[in-house]
Amino acid sequence: MLVQRNDVGRVLFTYATLTFFALIFMIPLVYALYTSFLQLKDVDSIVPFRELTVDSYVRLWTSPAYSLPRWYWNTAVMTGIIIGGNLIFNTMAGYALSKLDFYGKRVIFFIILATLMIPYHIVLIPVYTTMATLGWLDTMRALTIPYMSQVLHIFLVRQFFLGVPNELLEASRLDGLSKIGAFFRIMLPLSGPALATMIILIFTGTWNSFMIPSTMVTRKEMFVLVVGLNSVKDQYFDRTNLIMAGVILTTLPVILLFLFLQKWYVQGVSTSGLKG
Amino acid sequence: MTDRPVPVKHNRYSAWSDSDTFVGWLFVAPFLMIWGFWFFRPFMLSLSRSFQDVNFMDLNAARFIWFGNYLDILRDPEFHEAVLHSLTIVVFAVPTQSLLALLVAIALNRKLPGRGVFRTIYSVPYIVSPIAVATVFMVLFRRNQVIVRLLSTIIQTPNVTWFADVNLALPFVILMFIWQQTGFFMIIYIAGLQGIPDDLYEAATVDGANPFQKFRYITVPSLKPVTYFVVTVGTILAFQIFDQIAAISRYGNLGSPAGATTTVITYFYQHGIRYMNIGRGSAAVVIFVLIIMAITALQKRLMAVKE
Repeated sequence: MLVQRNDVGRVLFTYATLTFFALIFMIPLVYALYTSFLQLKDVDSIVPFRELTVDSYVRLWTSPAYSLPRWYWNTAVMTGIIIGGNLIFNTMAGYALSKLDFYGKRVIFFIILATLMIPYHIVLIPVYTTMATLGWLDTMRALTIPYMSQVLHIFLVRQFFLGVPNELLEASRLDGLSKIGAFFRIMLPLSGPALATMIILIFTGTWNSFMIPSTMVTRKEMFVLVVGLNSVKDQYFDRTNLIMAGVILTTLPVILLFLFLQKWYVQGVSTSGLKG
Repeated sequence: MTDRPVPVKHNRYSAWSDSDTFVGWLFVAPFLMIWGFWFFRPFMLSLSRSFQDVNFMDLNAARFIWFGNYLDILRDPEFHEAVLHSLTIVVFAVPTQSLLALLVAIALNRKLPGRGVFRTIYSVPYIVSPIAVATVFMVLFRRNQVIVRLLSTIIQTPNVTWFADVNLALPFVILMFIWQQTGFFMIIYIAGLQGIPDDLYEAATVDGANPFQKFRYITVPSLKPVTYFVVTVGTILAFQIFDQIAAISRYGNLGSPAGATTTVITYFYQHGIRYMNIGRGSAAVVIFVLIIMAITALQKRLMAVKE
């Protein structure tokens, strides 16, 4: 639909509506950003630019009461391990399920579809008791190992690999490439868009995850950012500037990555959303 | 793609290590091991423990009690309350966010300059941690804050701290949920709108249809499958809501204030993890999963009818 002259009223109305909702969606984040640069006495008031300060950040980052650097590190390690595992294991499984033909393949594909339909909550209690029995509670293992190969992303990678023409693989065989070789030399180099989608979806999901880390970890040094932020908020709710700095520090990496990988994110959400 | 020509190695056509069966199983092995130990085994444990009287303190002292846990739960007034809260969240959140997402998606589907910026702004809430969102909202919705005062003039809500008020805590959770989810469903709706062929609209214009008629007779029917998706997934997500409730339940008292925000999920979590009553918790989560699967099945059914 192109904008026409007699449409001016409608266009203005559309912009007004869009701006209204944009404000609703922006205000909480802008408030958090602004407040995080205030002194406590200035919270909920407008101050001149020169009175803004990074005190809250410095305090949050350096004070031993919060162990923020440690939480950052834990979150980064957890997210890194889970993304790494998924990148390797899911592309492998996706290749096997899309380009190889072996006995049992259909059962495995059925397993993936069935698991997709079952909410994760059903295994939370046994996973917790198993972690306790293994003595893995309060360790990085409890936060990462069960989540290193997620069915949704195997499914998405498989769909992507189905679109890779078989002729490429046949040609590679004529050139003497083994099936494992074809995975590394043909499939992986082609899978950039699928991997970008996987990275952004798993990054946001893992970085923001709360239920599992807050269940598996109770020692403060092993907290991840979100769990740490929740505890700081409970303890220091009246230090608004401080907890807003925490909000910004927690959300900034996700927002930045989203701005860079937005295209693949939208693609991933649309395809995974409309698969049914 | 590699620039170099693929080097010719010796012919491995006959080697067993190059068979589909070997490579296939080798390549699904990591997934299968993780899935088997960390999903299938716990899944079966949850099912069997839901029929047992079993406590975390002594897992070996489990006793088989048939449907005892299920009957206890179904007779528990706390559970009725939790179901009621879950349904309330669904009934208020799902229609609101679906409609809002559709309207915004339609507005953004027009080729207006700057629509990319709006799309980004609307998507950001969805990728932000619910705990962070709740933290900001809890501050914004305190007594005497601008928003709370504004709302008390417009819709007559009392001037109180929302998350600590027995009547407003649940609406507060719903509000945060809608604020976060709308962007996600907007992305889905935009993808759906882009799938509608332009010539349908052109033909309607030739036939003299007005914008409302086009919306009613082209957009709405074409988006039917997308709407099924948005409604069912929205319902499932609304049933699963946890982080926001945990955030407003300060000091870990799930469902506070005074049980005003308990849901099916917090009920299962409270019994299974906090009270370590594994049998009761497992039965609760099985009931929860049955509800979710019924919704999923309904979605599949509705989608199939359309085709």
